[in-house]
Amino acid sequence: MSVSLAGLRVLVVEDEPIVAMTLEDLLADLGCEVEVAGTLEQGLAAAAACALDAAVLDVNLNGRESFPIAEALDARRIPHLFATGYGAAALRDRNALVLEKPYRAADIRAALETLLGP
Amino acid sequence: MEPVLSPAPPAPAAQPPAARVRAWEGLSDFAQIADFAPVAMWVTGPARTRLYVNQFYADFVGLRREEALAFDWRMLIHPDDRARLQAESEAGEARLERFVLEGRFCRGDGAWRWLQSTSQPIWDVTGTHIGFIGVAHDVTEAREAAQAIADKEAQLSAFIGQTTAGFAQVDLTGRFTLVNDRFCAIAGRSREDLLGLTMQAITHPQDLAGNVEKFERAVRDGTSYTHEKRFVRPDGTTVWVNNSVAVIRRADGTPYGVLAACLDVSERRAADSALRRSEERLRLATEGAGMATWEIDLATFDGPWSDNRFDLLGLPRDPNGRGTLADWLAVIHPDDAAWVAAAMRRCFKEGTPVELEYRILRADDGSERWLHSHGRRVERSDGRAPRFVGVSFDVTRRRAIEDEVRRSEWQFRTIFEQANDFIFTTGLDKVVTSCNPAVCAALGYTEEEAVGRPFSDFLADGDVGQADEMLRRKLKDGGTTRHTIRVRTSSGEVRLWEVSSRLNTGPDGQPVGLHAIARDVTDAQRAQEMQQLLINELNHRVKNTLAIVQGIAVQTFKSDDPAAARAAFADRLRALSDAHNLLTREVWGATTIDAVAAEALAAHDPDRSRITIDGPEVRIAPKTAISLALALHELATNALKHGALGTPAGTVRLAWQITSDAADTAPRLQLSWIERGGPPVALPDRRGFGSRLIERALAAELGGSVTLTFAPAGVECRIDAPLPEPA
Repeated sequence: MSVSLAGLRVLVVEDEPIVAMTLEDLLADLGCEVEVAGTLEQGLAAAAACALDAAVLDVNLNGRESFPIAEALDARRIPHLFATGYGAAALRDRNALVLEKPYRAADIRAALETLLGP
Repeated sequence: MEPVLSPAPPAPAAQPPAARVRAWEGLSDFAQIADFAPVAMWVTGPARTRLYVNQFYADFVGLRREEALAFDWRMLIHPDDRARLQAESEAGEARLERFVLEGRFCRGDGAWRWLQSTSQPIWDVTGTHIGFIGVAHDVTEAREAAQAIADKEAQLSAFIGQTTAGFAQVDLTGRFTLVNDRFCAIAGRSREDLLGLTMQAITHPQDLAGNVEKFERAVRDGTSYTHEKRFVRPDGTTVWVNNSVAVIRRADGTPYGVLAACLDVSERRAADSALRRSEERLRLATEGAGMATWEIDLATFDGPWSDNRFDLLGLPRDPNGRGTLADWLAVIHPDDAAWVAAAMRRCFKEGTPVELEYRILRADDGSERWLHSHGRRVERSDGRAPRFVGVSFDVTRRRAIEDEVRRSEWQFRTIFEQANDFIFTTGLDKVVTSCNPAVCAALGYTEEEAVGRPFSDFLADGDVGQADEMLRRKLKDGGTTRHTIRVRTSSGEVRLWEVSSRLNTGPDGQPVGLHAIARDVTDAQRAQEMQQLLINELNHRVKNTLAIVQGIAVQTFKSDDPAAARAAFADRLRALSDAHNLLTREVWGATTIDAVAAEALAAHDPDRSRITIDGPEVRIAPKTAISLALALHELATNALKHGALGTPAGTVRLAWQITSDAADTAPRLQLSWIERGGPPVALPDRRGFGSRLIERALAAELGGSVTLTFAPAGVECRIDAPLPEPA
């Protein structure tokens, strides 16, 4: 484990409250500070305004895709990954790290380490 | 004429003339006969004195009989004949032999008559010449007739000599007895040569036997005949002649010769031969082609038929090659007989050419055949009745093939017309050449509008290139292409067609167009897309549900009490499952708060006596329904464990309403869970999963605020959120 995740500020965009809560707990256990957004609008606002080190985005937010949030994050060079039940196919040729639901704590950690690694 | 009285008894030599006359007169029998005879008769004495004349003699000279006896008959001789007759008479008398005189004499009425007399010397018993007895015939008419015949013969002979016809007369052995110049020219021999030959000698050996047979029969039975034969000329060449042969008879009917009128027909024979050969060739050619020929003489209603016409009708071949109109009419199929006969009548009467196709029932086996006959009336220049000339074919097989083609065509036409599939053809220029009604119905054009237009007119923009590419591929590789393409109907609707097409080739194997069969796969395609969508969605939901389950598990098993955690986990999964059941019943569409509450709370209030549910219909999305169901499950479970549902008297009121502060603000949902009559409520030691689910998850889901109050009178949960969208 070369990268410390402690103190990282992570945005979680997830429209399923229980899943969001769980991810929030997992990230909190890793020592991260977590900002949760349940809708596209909340996610865009957070991506634009919050101080962030990384983001974990659900693809489908109440039927709307979260790609605009990803683009906002890209603009700020904030690394992010997608966590989705649809798998990599949902990304439609986007070159991005994908974490498939359901995921384990170790999965999220490895994904974040890959995302933030050298 | 023979002497009448050669053996007559002689008169006495010394008797005076008168006595002798009387002596003659005494021969009453002779006198009676002589007086009635239609000839002149007389008897003279030695000094030429007339001893007796009969009545005919007296009448001729125009005198009484006594006067006639004394009259010198020489006075009556024609001046031109006198000298000759007197000389012959004297010579005859001097010879004492029978002599005949013929000459003209003046009759009593002045007319000159030819008389032929025969005088016979008579002798007495002693052998002494005593005179003559004479008989004279009037031969004037006979001579005139003979002269007329001679004149006629001369005329005929002259005619014969100059005619193109040869004449030859032969005797009963065949020896030439008379030939004319023309016959000599035909035979190529001089008259002198011919008169020394028989007709058999100059007849071609191959024709001889038949010729002799006919000749002998003619002589025997008197039958005339006409035949054609060859003569052989001295130079070895042959000449074809047409001989018309008749037997010549004497007055008593006895044949004494045979006369032949002879025509040189070599040229005609050559022409005939060529014609026959040509006719034969034509006949063979026509019969080979299955064509039967026939003629009908419109006077006799029969005529020459080709052999194969008899065969065609199933009739025995006539040895003379002749058939009748009735023969033919008799074999025509009863259903066709009337109109065929009517057409033939029109042809016969008005000259309308006929072209008929009709059935016959063959005379031999009764089988039905189709014949095609055409023909016309042919007028004749020689005034004879016109004839009908026709040809016939057996077209049964052609009809059968046509019927089959028609049937097959009808079948294909039926398929074409009635198929649900779209069938159309285009040229290589992609212009529609035909289309079936299904195409018209699908595209919303009439057949007239569709045919003649480029098929690209019916394609959606952007798919024309695809159709062109398919055609290119077929032209390059042949075979069938199958592809889906978007077509545009007359109303502008775009439909998806799956088109299978292949090239049509002409007789030379070169492509001339293409035919295509297509079906509308729009709905099938949509269904397939929908199915794929559903599978993807199902996968997503399963994954999502598993994530939720994982979340519930993670949250639940944070508890220090594993047994309680397991029970709580099972309950929560059950709540999740119930919510899914509800959503499945609603086909994952919108449901209502009322339905979600009833489902979620049924396990906690089996009698429906403790929890009051009250609110207007509010439709919420499936995802919202799950969060609400899980939240209600947590509230009810807590109430059962620690709150109003844990005591017999406790009640819960779940109520909601839609509020709208002002016309310009969006309506809001206000929902409350209020427990009453339970044990005194104590603030929980720490916020567990239930509290967090309600306060945070549901609030996030609804995008509103959730207030959970552990008031002493009972737990209260109040939610204030924008009225949820149903989807």
